[in-house]
Amino acid sequence: MSNIVVDRIAKAFGNLQAVKEVSFEVNPGEIFGLLGPNGAGKTTSIRIILDIFKADSGTVSILGGPMTEEKKNRIGYLPEERGLYQEIPLERCLVYLATLKGLEEKEAQTRISNYLERFDLAASRRKKVKELSKGMQQKAQLINTLVHNPEVVIIDEPFTALDPVNTQMVKELLREERDRGTTIVMCTHQMHQVEELADRIALINKGETVLYGGLTDIRRQYATDGVLIRALNELPSSLPGVQEIRAHNSSTLLKFEPGQTAQSILNMLVSKGVILEHFEIAMPTLDEIFIQVVNDGSSAE
Amino acid sequence: MKKIWLILRNEYLRHARKKSFLFGILSMPFFIGLMAMVGFVSVWMEYNDAPIGYVDPNQDITNPLQVPVKEKKLLKPANVIPFENETDARTALQNEEIQAFFVLSDNYMASGEAAMVSTSETGSNAESDFGDFLAYNLVKDKPPQLAERLIDGSNLIIRSLDGSREMAVDDWMSIIMPILAGVLFIIAVNTSGNYLLQAVVEEKENRTMEIIVTSVSPGQLMAGKVIGNLLLGLTQLTTWILFAVLAIKIFPSIIPIDQIPRIDTSNLVLIIATFFPAFVMVAAAMGAVGATATEAREAQQITGWFTIPILIPLWFANTIMMNPNGPISVAMSLIPVTAPIALPMRAVFTTIPAWQIILAITLLYILAVFALWLSGRIFRLGMLRYGKRVRFREAFSQGGK
Repeated sequence: MSNIVVDRIAKAFGNLQAVKEVSFEVNPGEIFGLLGPNGAGKTTSIRIILDIFKADSGTVSILGGPMTEEKKNRIGYLPEERGLYQEIPLERCLVYLATLKGLEEKEAQTRISNYLERFDLAASRRKKVKELSKGMQQKAQLINTLVHNPEVVIIDEPFTALDPVNTQMVKELLREERDRGTTIVMCTHQMHQVEELADRIALINKGETVLYGGLTDIRRQYATDGVLIRALNELPSSLPGVQEIRAHNSSTLLKFEPGQTAQSILNMLVSKGVILEHFEIAMPTLDEIFIQVVNDGSSAE
Repeated sequence: MKKIWLILRNEYLRHARKKSFLFGILSMPFFIGLMAMVGFVSVWMEYNDAPIGYVDPNQDITNPLQVPVKEKKLLKPANVIPFENETDARTALQNEEIQAFFVLSDNYMASGEAAMVSTSETGSNAESDFGDFLAYNLVKDKPPQLAERLIDGSNLIIRSLDGSREMAVDDWMSIIMPILAGVLFIIAVNTSGNYLLQAVVEEKENRTMEIIVTSVSPGQLMAGKVIGNLLLGLTQLTTWILFAVLAIKIFPSIIPIDQIPRIDTSNLVLIIATFFPAFVMVAAAMGAVGATATEAREAQQITGWFTIPILIPLWFANTIMMNPNGPISVAMSLIPVTAPIALPMRAVFTTIPAWQIILAITLLYILAVFALWLSGRIFRLGMLRYGKRVRFREAFSQGGK
């Protein structure tokens, strides 16, 4: 049974139709990527899921039904616009926010101490939040999102302001959470992070779900008829059954003619004496799919 | 309930720990203390405890005695010395043995005239000390009770026709209490209301609001904030009252406690009964303004509009005192925004019919609940809206849910 079921939600603010029709489901123990260009309606959809806004139409089910006050304690949220009390010490701020999520003060203190150690923030526990760097504040926000062991985590741009080391740490943390059975919805523009972490995605454009499903299935769906190869000897300028030969990063993309398959191309290359170092079916990156879908949407309009 | 308590505690401590709050809370007694000290020093500088002389040609004052000093006083009255004649008095004055002397007129008992002679400026106490000396010595041979009555005067009491209400003419505390309470209420509501406003705007500005509302409902958030800030206001008032009590205890000679008339308990109950919902009403309104405003300065420009209506009865204080049952007085004690001050003020001067008290307080509570409900809706609409104000009618639309 899905932990989040979003069914044809819509929301308008005056004349602005922020969300037209968004639907998706997120299962327990998966990392789900919610993608979309700026102003696509991702944040509004998230706020509807979290019951901050009421949908004009459509329904949302979270942890088995509509949002309740009790369920709020079982959800962790990292909003895109980061927010912590700037004038109070970091630890006090985190303990207060954790108690609002239903943790007892002592328990909150213990868990926060552990997280502060893990995130290398222990020395800054008594510093005012405003005295921390952006990256440190980002880590503090993540602690606030996860400290109460939520069953559902919704994170908006979790890697903003993080250096590569901390990005790696956060990725590990998210994988741990997923392995623990936590449902994670991750909104981000950083497609390579989604490719690395997410199992399934939904792409929202202009308030509508335009792409939804497993990452591999989607990439296959958008796969061009081609292979990526790296050869140890020089390739001929033309090859039978190959429409286009062009460089692609450190490899060469061979786009084949209709009727050809990867297997037939491989056989042809071997027969032509090409010594292959690397051979793979060319799959589009999520970035490419994203740009294609968004551009298609714009041109269709 | 626990979350309301957590928000309340956080709200209270967050502000109470601020230096600006401590400064605000201590500056009022400090300022009053400073003013009192300046006043005392100026009186003290003009005070002269050198003896005062007098010449009584007709011997109207027999066996003169110094006025006994009843309470401990920081400034003791000057001794009054009789002189046989004006020449002796002048000599004493020239020798600076006395600061001045008075000459009672030949027909003093009939006219009460006495001329003062001095070489330099006398102390500000010279005339009053000599006046007290004369009054005391003129009645000292009368029975003590009569003498006291003649000197202290009568305690006149005004009683209502049905006998249910009475007030001493010089019972200034009863008259001043609703006005003083009103002024203190305005200060407290402004201070704590502004803290509430700041807190909401700050949470909106630093985007903490979005995290908070995924943990608690807007209703819980508002309730915790309103009560937390109400307690801040009460802390401020209690501190000021404690300072006043401390001042009375430390300086009994300046503020004699036995001279402060008793506070009317029923009036105090009425003040509390009206102030509580009024505070909730104003605080809820300020919370809603904070949620709709995009920055603190913008919000503060609007807040004055919530406290000005509460002040209106003070502008009509004379009308309420002179005609407490007139249409203006009755109307102001029934209108929820003016009732907190108008109702207790009227109660000092008249017996307010029970139905009016019940109606006024009921209306206040209804309006307070309505204000909380409306502010909850406005809060929900405005809390995450940046750069665009919430329109009033939106609060009543479906979107306000």
